[in-house]
Amino acid sequence: MSTESGATGVKRRDFLKILGVTTAATAATGCSTDHVRKLIPYVANPDNTVAGVSNYFSSTCRECATSCGILVETRDGRAIKIEGNPNAELNRGALCAKGQSALQGLYNPDRFRQPMARKNGQLTPITWDEAMQTLATKLGEVRSKGQANSAVFINQHEIGSFPAFLDSWLNDYGMPPHISYDADAPSSAIAANKAAYGVAWPALDFDAASLIVSFGADFLDGWGPSTPLQLAWADARAKIEGAPRAIYIGARRSLTGLNADSWIACKPGAELAIIQFLRGTKSVAEAAAAADVSVATLEGLKKEITEAKRSLLLAGGTGVDSAQVAVEVSEYNKGLGNVGITIKPASPLGIYERLDPTVAVYNVADRMNAGAVPVLFVRGANPVHTLPRSVKFAEGMAKVGFKVSFTNVPDETTELADLILPDHHSLESWGDAEPTANTLHLQQPAMEPVFNSRATADVLIEAAKKDTTLASKYAMTDYRSWLVARFPGGQTAQTLALAKGVATASSLRAAERATGDFTRKPVAGFTGTGDFHLVINSSPTLGTGAGANKPWLMELPDPVSKIAWQSWVEMHPMACKKLGLVRGDLVTIETTAGKVTLPVYNYLGIRPDTIAVSLGLGHKSQTGKTFDTDGDRKIPYYTGYGRYADGVGINAVTLVSGDIDAVSGGIAYTSMKAKVTKTGENTDLITTEGSARQHSRGIGQATTLAALVAGRTAKDGEHGATAPAEHGAAAAEGGHDLGPKEWGGNEHEFVGGAPSDFLPGLKSPVANDAQGALGTQDSKAKGMYSEQHWSGMAKRRWAMTIDLSRCTGCSACVTACYSENNIPTVGASWQGRALSPTVWDTRPGANIIKGREMAWIRLERYFEGADDSENIFDPGFDTRFVPMMCQHCGNAPCEPVCPVYATYHSPDGLNVQVYNRCVGTRYCSNNCPYKVRYYNWFGYGEPGRRQYAFPEPMQMQLNPDVTVRGKGVMEKCTFCVQRIREAETRADLEHRPLQGDEFTTACAQACPSKAITFGDAADPAWTVAKQVEDERAYHVFEVLNTYTAVVYLKKINHTVEA
Amino acid sequence: MTQRKKWAAIPGFFLVAAVAAGLSAYSGATAREADAAQAPAAGNKFAYPQFSGLSGTNLDGVRNNTEAMALPKIKGDSGLKLDPAKGPWAYSGASSPQNYSPEQPVKFPHPQHVQKLGMNCTYCHNAAGKAQDPGLPSVASCMGCHALVATGKPEIKKLAAYYAKGQPVPWQRMHKVPEYVHFPHSRHANGGVTCQTCHGEVQKMTQVFQYSSLNMGWCVNCHIERKARYDCSTCHY
Repeated sequence: MSTESGATGVKRRDFLKILGVTTAATAATGCSTDHVRKLIPYVANPDNTVAGVSNYFSSTCRECATSCGILVETRDGRAIKIEGNPNAELNRGALCAKGQSALQGLYNPDRFRQPMARKNGQLTPITWDEAMQTLATKLGEVRSKGQANSAVFINQHEIGSFPAFLDSWLNDYGMPPHISYDADAPSSAIAANKAAYGVAWPALDFDAASLIVSFGADFLDGWGPSTPLQLAWADARAKIEGAPRAIYIGARRSLTGLNADSWIACKPGAELAIIQFLRGTKSVAEAAAAADVSVATLEGLKKEITEAKRSLLLAGGTGVDSAQVAVEVSEYNKGLGNVGITIKPASPLGIYERLDPTVAVYNVADRMNAGAVPVLFVRGANPVHTLPRSVKFAEGMAKVGFKVSFTNVPDETTELADLILPDHHSLESWGDAEPTANTLHLQQPAMEPVFNSRATADVLIEAAKKDTTLASKYAMTDYRSWLVARFPGGQTAQTLALAKGVATASSLRAAERATGDFTRKPVAGFTGTGDFHLVINSSPTLGTGAGANKPWLMELPDPVSKIAWQSWVEMHPMACKKLGLVRGDLVTIETTAGKVTLPVYNYLGIRPDTIAVSLGLGHKSQTGKTFDTDGDRKIPYYTGYGRYADGVGINAVTLVSGDIDAVSGGIAYTSMKAKVTKTGENTDLITTEGSARQHSRGIGQATTLAALVAGRTAKDGEHGATAPAEHGAAAAEGGHDLGPKEWGGNEHEFVGGAPSDFLPGLKSPVANDAQGALGTQDSKAKGMYSEQHWSGMAKRRWAMTIDLSRCTGCSACVTACYSENNIPTVGASWQGRALSPTVWDTRPGANIIKGREMAWIRLERYFEGADDSENIFDPGFDTRFVPMMCQHCGNAPCEPVCPVYATYHSPDGLNVQVYNRCVGTRYCSNNCPYKVRYYNWFGYGEPGRRQYAFPEPMQMQLNPDVTVRGKGVMEKCTFCVQRIREAETRADLEHRPLQGDEFTTACAQACPSKAITFGDAADPAWTVAKQVEDERAYHVFEVLNTYTAVVYLKKINHTVEA
Repeated sequence: MTQRKKWAAIPGFFLVAAVAAGLSAYSGATAREADAAQAPAAGNKFAYPQFSGLSGTNLDGVRNNTEAMALPKIKGDSGLKLDPAKGPWAYSGASSPQNYSPEQPVKFPHPQHVQKLGMNCTYCHNAAGKAQDPGLPSVASCMGCHALVATGKPEIKKLAAYYAKGQPVPWQRMHKVPEYVHFPHSRHANGGVTCQTCHGEVQKMTQVFQYSSLNMGWCVNCHIERKARYDCSTCHY
């Protein structure tokens, strides 16, 4: 917002003074409609604001340090959606699930609503005046006692000017520079990058490579700048011809591993042996023995790398020697001549600039425990939760005289603080970031602060103003004016740049802190005894825990296991068989550091001698207290990490001894041996995975380049034989993809069967034609579905293509859909069903266990191959990710079974669900072959219901353009009909026809792989019209004659040429 | 499924349908809406502020010398016990009732502004042609003139008091379609539908009342008449 500063939240112009402006006008905001009986105008209309029309503010995402450019859609003063900023070269309009969920950080119901101070051992709400006075007094005390140089400030790692600003402020008080802590940072790669290339993160060019080899670098799971990396990956892989082949080396096949063409399942910790073999310092026999893979595999790997025209080798494990592996890999890259071509140190990314290694926080814990830290400041970081227990951070905090937290949500660290000065959310505050050299992403508030919070930078300035010796230096009004003052061109230029969100400028740079103070002795190899190696991986969405208070991320099934609202342990079916375990059996996992009980998920993609547990959950209050606040309003105040995270899952870091990687100073997560004991109990896995196998249904199809080329030749040779050629090509690859003929059926036997020659494109997916023999000439010529109909309704054909060679299964589209379409999350502990009139199912995810999840788009994940996994370990299986949403069938099975005509086919090609007609018989859902219809079992959208999904102020995130569904109503993907109607209206107002690719759906907009294309297949101006005719195009279950409007493009597997 | 089982399922279906219809807020609402439209006048149980005989000079002393439209009586309801303060449409799924005419906190005389002063509808409802919502004038817009004009009148004093306190005028909402209906004003205004087509001759209403039923049938008839698309997803999504 380019109005005056909202920094202190009071002096700003009356922009949105009445937050509830025109509540009535935007009726569908999901607030109780009981309130909607007044029409409240503005007192004074803000500039450029029309009630009911969205404004977009460019800003910068702060959910991780990548700092993607974002556009925040606001309606009547409320942020309602976050999308990637297309002006930002870094992320080109894409945004990951984490970034989109920032909205739920903004509207988190557990956010601190005002500053708090510990009085008589209890955190109590105080005013900002009191809070600032307390802070100033303490700062003065620390200085007068000469303790300032022992003070510690731990900041959640971020880039931009703030770290430098903070360091200079700390310096003014005589305090040492702050510690920039990122529990999610890939420390081994950073250390190696610094050593080999002199930068923390060089740009990686997947496109220039013909071979990508990853030594445990999970670049699609949140390793490094995930959205930019995913964009680059998808662009490279979508080339089809000349696309890089990918090999993943590691004990567990992560999401990145599943996307790679081959998996070399080496023993955990054996990556070093493999790279040493590749570099010629170890014999192949030694390496093969250490890694427990065949000699042929390693020889083949070496052959591929040496023969590849241009390769890109990445390393990113989290073992005790991972940084050493990464250093060796960097050297190998240098030797192969990849530096400057696939690895570009000359154009570094800012993401890990000025990041401190985790060991720096270890050292703080040691000093705290020694009683040497008089005052501790924490902002955003949550070391109590993210550090291994042996570090004793919480115990250390108890020995610190005064603890100040700037974090705006309760977490394990903040609940131990003495003074809480809640920071603005990033969507409420000013800032900047320099994600790539000389490109500044600007951060501006998208709305008025939701609660009585203050930007930390402004608090620092205000504190300094109270100090007589510093007041003159801190003469700026607030942090925003400080930013403006250092922006080239000043206020005018900044205002202009804000329109784009991107500027050519630099942020202030903080000096790197001296590191290398690794007082802890590193250990070699694995700690403890046990039959299994324990791999601990960071969750792609929850990270090491920061995402757990956002229900969108909690409800998003893990891309690999498809489990949500739960922790689980991955074990290979062979290991399960050996221990007599079945899916969901509870096992005890014991390491020297800790012991947890988890359900088993039998996973093909892990070595039989290894188990894996994911980080991210296990938030738990340290004090175990909840308390009320906010005057006479009784708001349960959550400690721990809030109501969504509380008591869900286990914290895998408790299984880690706390050893560090000696080179990088990062936590050695994968350094433990674990004992697995069967408990004899079984629990329900909270999963959206039905079967992990396709059972020859051909849902996610794949082909190879060779088969594609063969298909083309066949097509050229025998004209008119398109369909058989396609099927031939598909069948050639594993024989899993059966078309109608191969399935033994004759399409003409189907009632209403239409000619099947419309495949693979969308030549005839029209309800009009789908009437087949049942439709009369008259009904076809004059009906609603005829293009000749007087209304002109049927001249469009909305359709979608999904390129499976691009899709990585990251699930950002799922979150985008939740955000756009007001989809309730249903897994929180209060949303379960009644077991008796007084007893409720309070298990997290209880509804999902019952199969009552609500995601309109889901990421299906299927495995192909490794069929006898209980007896043979076969790493050569293939994975298919299939985004599955309503297919908008031209001949939809759901439509004829609806007794009340609540679902029908619109003339422009949508399968429509009319909520107000629906009486909830669920026949449609039962008859849907794609299982994409979701039923409101409870009043998730109705305030006052127990299962209400939008606790105040979360209802503010709701999109006013989309109806909030009530209890007993069926719902499903609408192809973002509200966006279609909006675009049509806009075109109508501008007296022009719709233009090609003028708008797109929320899933397609967000997709960090650009796999989804939406548009009008009947108009050649839209990209989708060409895509549906692609040689890789197929429909899911085309044998059912459903004439789907969603067309999938087959995945390409890059096998080694024999 | 055997033939016998099929037959046995049919009463089951009716039971399910009946229970579902009973439970569904939406279907219930439809029934109420229909009742409200068709039931004969049987005593008005809604405590709507009734037409209080506005005529001549009773609006702030401004002589209303234009032809005042007679305010028709609200059709009878079906005896539903609902909170009158909320109106019958609060979460019921029905549109606001025809002829509804609540008393407003500031008795704004449309005839005075439109007929006498010749102001256009979109002078105040300025978003009618560009947004879903027609827009309400901000209090500051009113005060743009009324800082100087007719400052002595009691209604203007009320207005000025709101402005001085920095408060919005809490207008009573009249026209309301259910949440599951999306009605873009802009599309209609630009498509040549006049304001009066739906809202009646507001320029003649001393106290505005709801002219049209806002029922779906009323919408669809017009859509067909004007050759606009009329399938469900045109408005329901």
